[in-house]
Amino acid sequence: MNLRFLLALLAMVALVFTSCDDDNPAPSFDNPTVTAPTTIVNLASGVTGQSVTFDVTFDSELTASYSATGSNVTISNPSGDVAGGSVTINFDAGTTTGGASITLTVTDSEGQSASGTAVFTVDQPVVRVTSNVSSDATWTADNTYILGGRIAVTDGATLTIEPGTVIKGEAGTGVNATALLVARGSMINAVGTASLPIIFTSVADEITPADVAAGNYASPNLDPDINGLWGGVIILGNAPISASNDDMDISEVAIEGIPSTDPNGLYGGNNAADNSGSFSYVSIRHGGSNIGAGNEINGLTLGGVGSATTISNIEVVANQDDGVEWFGGTVSVSNVVVWNAGDDAIDTDQAWAGTLDNFVVVTPSGSCFELDGPEGTLVERHAITNGSVVAINGSRTTGGLLIDTDSGTPVDMSNVHFVGPLFTTDDDGNVDEYLVMTDDEVAASTFSNVTFDIDAADLINLMEQGGPIPAGISAGGSPQADVSVFGWTWANEVGGLDGL
Amino acid sequence: MKNILLLTLFSLMATLVVAQEGIIRGTVFDDGFGESVIGANVALAEDPSIGTSTDLDGAFSISVAPGTYTVTVSYIGYQTVSISDVVVTDGEVTVLGEIRISEASEQLEEVVVTAKAIRTTEVALLTVKKKSSVMMDGISSARMQLTGDGTAVEAAKRVTGVSIEGGKYVYVRGLGDRYSKTTLNGVDVPGLDPDRNTLQMDIFPTNLIDNIVISKNFTADMPADFTGGLLNIQTKDFPDEENFSVSVGLSYNPDMHLNSDWLTDVGGDTDFLGYDDGTREIPADALSDNIPTPISGASDQEVTDFVQSFNPNLAAQRENSFLDFSAGLSYGNQSILKNDAKLGYIFSLSYKTNYTFYDDVFYGEYQRNANDETVNELVYANIQEGQLGEKNVLIGVLGGLAYKTKRNKYRLTAMRLQNGESRAAQFSIDDNGSAVGHSGYLAESDNLEYNQRSLTNVLLNGTHVNEETGWEIDWRLSPTWSTLDDPDIRKTAFTTDQVGGPVFNAGAGGNPSRIWRSLSEINAIAKVDFTKDYSLFGEDAKLKFGASHTYKDREYEILFFDVQFFGGNQDWEAADPNLVLDPKNIYPNSPNIYFQSGNSDPNPNQYQSDVNNTGVYVSNEFFPFPKLKTILGVRAENFVQRHTGRDQLAAQGNPEGRSLDNEEVLNSLDFFPTANFIYELTEEQNLRASYSRTIARPSFKELSFAQILDPVTNRIFNGTLFQTGDWDGNLVETRIDNIDLRWERFLPGGQIFSVSAFYKNFDSPIELVRIPEQQTTPEFQPRNVGNGRVYGVEVEVRKNFAFISESLSRLAFSGNVTFVESQIDMTETEFQARKNFEREGENIENTRDMAGQAPYVINAGLTYGDSETGLDIGLFYNVKGETLTIVGSGLYPDIYFQPFHSLNFSINKRLGEDKNTAIDFKVSNILNDKRESFFQSFNADDQIFSRLSPGITFGIGFSHKF
Repeated sequence: MNLRFLLALLAMVALVFTSCDDDNPAPSFDNPTVTAPTTIVNLASGVTGQSVTFDVTFDSELTASYSATGSNVTISNPSGDVAGGSVTINFDAGTTTGGASITLTVTDSEGQSASGTAVFTVDQPVVRVTSNVSSDATWTADNTYILGGRIAVTDGATLTIEPGTVIKGEAGTGVNATALLVARGSMINAVGTASLPIIFTSVADEITPADVAAGNYASPNLDPDINGLWGGVIILGNAPISASNDDMDISEVAIEGIPSTDPNGLYGGNNAADNSGSFSYVSIRHGGSNIGAGNEINGLTLGGVGSATTISNIEVVANQDDGVEWFGGTVSVSNVVVWNAGDDAIDTDQAWAGTLDNFVVVTPSGSCFELDGPEGTLVERHAITNGSVVAINGSRTTGGLLIDTDSGTPVDMSNVHFVGPLFTTDDDGNVDEYLVMTDDEVAASTFSNVTFDIDAADLINLMEQGGPIPAGISAGGSPQADVSVFGWTWANEVGGLDGL
Repeated sequence: MKNILLLTLFSLMATLVVAQEGIIRGTVFDDGFGESVIGANVALAEDPSIGTSTDLDGAFSISVAPGTYTVTVSYIGYQTVSISDVVVTDGEVTVLGEIRISEASEQLEEVVVTAKAIRTTEVALLTVKKKSSVMMDGISSARMQLTGDGTAVEAAKRVTGVSIEGGKYVYVRGLGDRYSKTTLNGVDVPGLDPDRNTLQMDIFPTNLIDNIVISKNFTADMPADFTGGLLNIQTKDFPDEENFSVSVGLSYNPDMHLNSDWLTDVGGDTDFLGYDDGTREIPADALSDNIPTPISGASDQEVTDFVQSFNPNLAAQRENSFLDFSAGLSYGNQSILKNDAKLGYIFSLSYKTNYTFYDDVFYGEYQRNANDETVNELVYANIQEGQLGEKNVLIGVLGGLAYKTKRNKYRLTAMRLQNGESRAAQFSIDDNGSAVGHSGYLAESDNLEYNQRSLTNVLLNGTHVNEETGWEIDWRLSPTWSTLDDPDIRKTAFTTDQVGGPVFNAGAGGNPSRIWRSLSEINAIAKVDFTKDYSLFGEDAKLKFGASHTYKDREYEILFFDVQFFGGNQDWEAADPNLVLDPKNIYPNSPNIYFQSGNSDPNPNQYQSDVNNTGVYVSNEFFPFPKLKTILGVRAENFVQRHTGRDQLAAQGNPEGRSLDNEEVLNSLDFFPTANFIYELTEEQNLRASYSRTIARPSFKELSFAQILDPVTNRIFNGTLFQTGDWDGNLVETRIDNIDLRWERFLPGGQIFSVSAFYKNFDSPIELVRIPEQQTTPEFQPRNVGNGRVYGVEVEVRKNFAFISESLSRLAFSGNVTFVESQIDMTETEFQARKNFEREGENIENTRDMAGQAPYVINAGLTYGDSETGLDIGLFYNVKGETLTIVGSGLYPDIYFQPFHSLNFSINKRLGEDKNTAIDFKVSNILNDKRESFFQSFNADDQIFSRLSPGITFGIGFSHKF
């Protein structure tokens, strides 16, 4: 009690002294202050009805007014009186992608002023797509496109996607998965460039077209092994498939990953020279939602795609199912990187009749090659050539087979090199388990210069049934893919292709 | 309100205890018409002033001092019947049972029988059968009392033409569920499984059942939506005597019980009461539109908390299984009120737990060889082998209150069923990468399911009779509320053939998933029937007309979630599902487990449907010529089904999607004519002929956009509204024309011999069809297929062995054999699909068997019944011929259910002076047969589609009447 009394007394004395300090001055007033928010807020391009609040102070014996100016914004209350300890400025975002700001200046009745600046980033305009593309449309690089569901290009329409465009799928699993599907008879015209690739990714990915334009192809926030965040890209055509619905040969069936209740999921026909458009310099990431066990969406699914279609320079990163899967068709594909697939990397079915030329496969969770035979009486051969495969890289190991063929798989594989190590090791660094390839169901397949980076004596250990080693397969060799064409890929950017 | 009711009841009962008197009860039937006689005089021969007249049920009740009497029943124009040696003891009820009287003839003025003789016959039901307007079979309470069957399902087994499936569902003439129907007290009651037409029968104790009747053909007063048979269970309203009984039973199956390998889910604390205590409830946040995930904007902690809000138990547990146990309690009585009105009341409570364990379950998926038509043998695509444990709890409560005066009767019954079944399974999965659409992998899965069902039914019924004018009015109101929930269906499958140990691989065995399904349905029925007795062409005739309205409303929803990994390597110490949701694996810890939602808003797997079905009918029963009874009638039903639901494209906002908002999916006005002719060849022989038109309508589930995934088999059911392939999405009702002929001969002592022939023509039958375009996952859809027809013959015998020796009169044989030929015209698509896969030397025709129709059904029973000593022994055999269950298509062969040879034995012995204590012993599936379905293809070995071995079960039961 006494202590408080003493303290109060002391304060009073101090007050007396201070007030007596200035003897004859002109009255002095505190300067106003303006404090802007420090966090940089992201704004969608052109978004309206936004507001920002500045904390302000000014001398209590004075009045004050404010004025606000901005760049790349439209302010609806640019001036006014200050009441209380804050000023809220209402505005609409501009449409120029990049920076935007609002500067608030407070001037008190004595003419003293202060100012502060709030900084914003105006993002790409976002276009959420929920309808099928049933007439010709162009998706441009100054927008970010959100796939709000399973979007099909239908009715013979052509969807053009400009270089550098970013397309993001919303999250979902099961029948709720998002995907871009090019139905039979419709076309995709997605042609990026080595400097402006087209990116398909998840809404969770913060990558922007500005990043892409700046040559930053890696996701700023997602690791390259995160999968299953959305579906994938499915291109379907009228080329022959060896499936077993009608006539045992030429037929139409529902594509994997799409419920048969969606009629746009049918593929297959009798036009070998069918044209589904052009698809190149495209990176597809973090996809692969499933609709049931063993029924998922591949990174790039090609069902009955015809030979007039151009597909090249494709990267698939972290897809929960296969990287690229062909279901019949006649299309040839070149320059492909499949990195961290959740299941198989390269998967062929239903007697695909085309060539895969120049490719890199890095650490799929399933098999590096899952090559199946015809499912009808139509037998066509496909070629896989000029490729490099990394089966084990650090903690990631191929979970399935190096090459998985069936006895009827009509594949001609040439100039493919498997980079070592091709075995897992235990804590002491000794061989724990060899990776293996199917060696007993290769009757319909041929191999030429397919090399494994392993001691010649250990090559037999890579044979699932213990041999014999199929002709055309040998130990040694060196990477076969021309990786110089992959400069635009995320894999390349983070050193994933080093040494190849 | 409830208390007042109870109090009134008790006070009524209290006033009814009459000192130094006993009661004589019985029911009087017209032997000629098989109907109860209203207003017959019943009096004591010793003192005609003591007596009464029969009420609208033909029932009477006389209170007299203890002694031995002769009871005389008389009615104008009828022979007088005297029942001698009626012993009345103090405070007891003497039941005379059913007394038949016949129109007077000159030869015989009076009939005298002894009380004992009347009690031990099953005349009433047989008389009803003999005189019935429709071809029917049934079993009465009198017979059930004689045989000592415990529940309705055991009793129904003794009815001709009936086969029992799964121990609880009843089918008639080998026709599937779609064409059978069960009613309770004359009104539709949805079963515990609302997608079935038939009601679970093992919940009704026989001591509360008045009769079970199966009508094999349609008359206008019945609902038109049955084709094979309509089974009605009539509960007692006025028990003849006070009846309080308890029963307990235990069953032992050496393959299933006291087995420490039995599989189960950890479950909740109230599983033993047939419902979940919330253990399996969906986490509240999972219902949000934006569930917390690493990419939803939620904080790490919110994601972690969300994952941990799910039950972490994903593994099937090994535990010891107990014996099957059942217990029941029932009470029934009637009281005479002061105004001579009667009050009847029944109550029953039953409880059952069953433990099932199948240790060699096999589910197979096979294909024809796709590349080489000279190869006949089938190729396996996916095989699941393992073990399945089930625990089933069923509680049933049934109560009834009935009040009647001489000419009016009111009845209120209420029923509540609660059923919980938990299933736990472990399978080894072998997927064949060489098969079409299959990626090839090995996996080990744990599956946990819980199925919870409840049903509450109330029936209010009034009957009013005026025998002077010949009018009878009967009205019924019956609402039913039912729910069916599958909370937290969990499937966890480790892919095991991967380098580096077991992992979850979405492209192989799949990621762990969980599903919640819920269904609720209201079913309300109102109906009124008028009957007028009159005279036409100088003979008795009967005019019936009436109206009914049925309202049904269903809500259904499926929610789906699966485990995802937000990067990071999976590294499991063992393939133990319970390790999965260990906090150390949950986001943000590697492998960063989180749950992803498979549900959009609105949800394509949510629907609401309702039905309004209004029916009116008129029917006339008359004799255009003596001995030719003719019933002509017509029924009209206006059936309107509405649906609110959407496909997946519409749910995501895609204008190409289809969305229905309370739109009509069925609207039909149908007329169902029926004509029945019964020609009485002799007193004991009838010749019957009938024609009728009936209908089979699609269910709510079928007429929807639902896509229902069975996580165990990976099979997907698709609602019919989807347009797939050449299916236009418009499912229509099946209209059936039925023609029946029957010759029947009735012999004394309840012996029967009859031969029937029938023909049914199906216009646009509905079958579950495999969608040929989908080759990755087995997907099915109900569709109209080509027209079909069924023709068959049925022979029925019930004969005792008195013809060999009088001493064998208690030994009886009853048998029923039905042979059926069924045929469906294939659609062009189906025919072409089959043709494409025609093997060398095979010749595919454009007709095939009808799905669900057995080519033959055999029921046979050998019974020994001695009511003197209270011993009843029965040996029953039942088999249904090889039945097409799933129609194949092209690559996929047809699937046939194999004959299951069911041989069962029961012995029942009643003990004590009054035979009030009974012990029974049963053996089921004596032949130890398996339930198997096979893929069948031309010149190929049959391959297993599913296999369950139920084993042999031994049961012992005890019951006592107080």
